[in-house]
Amino acid sequence: MLRRRTAILVVTGLFFAALLLSLLTHSTGVVRNDPARNIWIPAELTMPLQLQVAFNDTQIYFRYRWPAREPHVLTDLLRYSDGKWQRQLRTPIGSDPEGIAEDRLAMMLDDGSVPEFQRYGGYITVGANMRDFTGSGADAAHRRKYLPATRKDPGDWYSIADAATLDAQRRAGYFLDLWHWRAHLSNPLGRSDDQHVAWYRLYDSGETLFFSNWDADKGQPRWMFDPEHGGVRALRWEDVPAARANAKEHYYLREDVAVPFDPDHEWREGDAIPGQVLREAGDSRAEIRVHGQGRWADGYWDVTLVRALDTGHPLEDKVLRDQGVYTVALSVHRDARASRWHYVSLPLQVGLAREADLVATRFTGNAPDWTTVETRDITLFYPGQVSWPHLTGARHAGSRYIAKGVPVKYRHKESQLARYGIEMEFDREIRRQWWLTLVAGVLLIVSFVFSVGRLCRLREG
Amino acid sequence: MGPYHAIMVHFPVALWTVAAGIIIFRGVSEGPLARAFDRVLVSLLFIGAATGLIAYVLGQLVWSPDTLQATPLGRNHMMAATWSLFYWAAVLFLRWRTGERAWEGAINRLIMVVLGALGAGLLAITGTLGGHLHGAPAYLSEILRMLGLDVYQTYYVPNGVLAVLAIVIVAMPALAIAAARELAATPPHGEAGK
Repeated sequence: MLRRRTAILVVTGLFFAALLLSLLTHSTGVVRNDPARNIWIPAELTMPLQLQVAFNDTQIYFRYRWPAREPHVLTDLLRYSDGKWQRQLRTPIGSDPEGIAEDRLAMMLDDGSVPEFQRYGGYITVGANMRDFTGSGADAAHRRKYLPATRKDPGDWYSIADAATLDAQRRAGYFLDLWHWRAHLSNPLGRSDDQHVAWYRLYDSGETLFFSNWDADKGQPRWMFDPEHGGVRALRWEDVPAARANAKEHYYLREDVAVPFDPDHEWREGDAIPGQVLREAGDSRAEIRVHGQGRWADGYWDVTLVRALDTGHPLEDKVLRDQGVYTVALSVHRDARASRWHYVSLPLQVGLAREADLVATRFTGNAPDWTTVETRDITLFYPGQVSWPHLTGARHAGSRYIAKGVPVKYRHKESQLARYGIEMEFDREIRRQWWLTLVAGVLLIVSFVFSVGRLCRLREG
Repeated sequence: MGPYHAIMVHFPVALWTVAAGIIIFRGVSEGPLARAFDRVLVSLLFIGAATGLIAYVLGQLVWSPDTLQATPLGRNHMMAATWSLFYWAAVLFLRWRTGERAWEGAINRLIMVVLGALGAGLLAITGTLGGHLHGAPAYLSEILRMLGLDVYQTYYVPNGVLAVLAIVIVAMPALAIAAARELAATPPHGEAGK
C-alpha cells in the first residue's frame, strides 16, 4: 500500500533530484565546435598578459609578456607532395592541427581622435558579417576591420564614404595605429609590422616586411634556403614541429640569404619551404622595432617593441607626447590560431608620466630599467562573434548605454564578455533550449506543488 | 518601463518575502503569533501574485522580447521571474486549497517550510539578476557562482535532462493521485472489525 507519508517523501525526493540534475547539467549540450559553421571555442576563455610602458625624449617602449604553452613560429608553408609543390596556406578554424599558424601580438593605439575606441576598444572595428563569421560566405575574405564613420551605413561593409571624406577623416586623425608583431613574419627581422585601421586594415607606406614565395604560374617556390649557408635547401615536413619549438634557424627565409629556387633539384616527398620571404622594410612600415629579442622561454613570450614618439608619419602613426594619455587595446594569437580566434583586451588608458590606467615611466638613457616600471596585469578574452552593428543595434540591450557613451568596462567584465561572445555564436540553439527549460521549470513547479498539496490534504486513518 | 518595473517589483518582493517568513515561522511554531500571521497568509500571497503579475508584465516591456531574450542575463532574469511568479501562485493555490491541514503533522509542516525556503531562494536569485540587469550587481552572484550558477551564462538544460524532467513532471501527480486513491479505498480504523 502506498502510504501518504511515503508518497510525500518520494514526490519531494523526485522534485529535488530533478532540481539537482538540472543544476549539475545546466548550460551544457549545445555549445560544441562546429567547423562547418566556422565555430571553434577555445578551452580557455581568458588569458593574462603583463604590460609595461616606458619612454624617453624620443622613444616609447612597450613590453609584453604572455603565457603560451609552446611557441608557434611557422606560417604558410610550401610542401612537396605527390611529385609537385603545394601551397599549405590556410586559415585554420581554431587551432591548426599541425601547428602552422604563427603566434602574434597586436596593439591598436589612439590619441583620442577616435572617441568610441576609448570606450569600446576593438569592438568598433568589427563590422557585420566579417570574414570567418558564421554564414559570412566564401566571398568574405576581404571583409576586415574598419572604423564606423568610414561607412555611410556602419553596418554595411560596402557603403564606403567617398575619397574626400576619408581623406578629411585621416587628416583629422580618425584612424587607429596598429602594431602587429608576428613570430614568423616580423620577429626574425627584429621588427613589428606597422599598420593602421581606417576605412580598412591598411599597411603603412613603405616596403613590405614579407612577400609571397609562391610562383603561381610555375606552381613552385621562388626562393629556397641557401645550401651553402645552412646545408639545406628546405625543411623536412617531419621536422616542422621541432623547427617550430626550437625557433632557432631555418624556419624563415630572408631575401638577403635565400637563393633562387632550383626546380632541377631532386626534391623529396615532405620537403617544405616557407611560403613568405622576409626582407628589410623601409619608410613608415619599418618604424616599430623589437627591442632586444622577442623570445619564448619557460612557457612565456617576452617581447618589447620600441618606436619613435613621433615617427614623422602623422597620417599613419599616432604621435605620442610626454603628459599625453592614449588608449590601447591588445590582442594575442597563440596555440596555432589565426583570424578571429584570438584573445582581445578591453581598452586601456596609458598615460605618459600622467595618471591613467597604466602610467608609462619616463627614463633617461637608451633602455628602461624594467624593474622600476609599473606592470599592469591585463585579462584578455575570447570575443566570439560580436560586431559593432550588433552592439549598437536594437537587439543589444546595452545599445542605449553605448548611445549615451557609457564605457564597456562600466557594465561588463572580460569573463562575462567571453561568455556572451560564445552565446552569440549559438544564439538560436541556446534560445530554443532556454525556452524549453523555462516551460519545463514551470511545469515542474506546478506539478510539485499540485502533488504535495494533494497529499497534504489527505488524512491517513 | 524600466523605472516602473523597478518600482513595482518592490511589492511582490516584499510580500513574498514576508510570506516566506510566515510560512517558515508557522511551520516551526504552533503559537498564537504564528497562527495570527498565518491568518493573513493567503491575502499576502494573493496580493503578492497580483502585483507580481503586474511587475512581470512591466518587466516584459522594458525591452522588446527579442532584445530581452538575446542576452544571457535577460534570459536568466526572465526565467527566474517566470518561475517565481508561478511558484508563489502555486503556493497560494496550495495554501488556499489545503487550509489549516497544511500545518497538520510534522510532514506537512516540513513540506511548507521547504516550500517557503525554496521560494525565498528563488526570489533572491530573481532579484539579484534584476539588479545585474539594472547595473547594480550584488555580491550574491558570487555565491551563486560558487554553487555553479554563472549569472552571465544562460541557464538551460540538455535534451536528455528535459526528458527526465518530463517523466518527473508526470510521475509526481501520478504518485499523489495513486496515494489518494489508496487512502480512499482503505477503510477507516475500526471498520474492519464490524
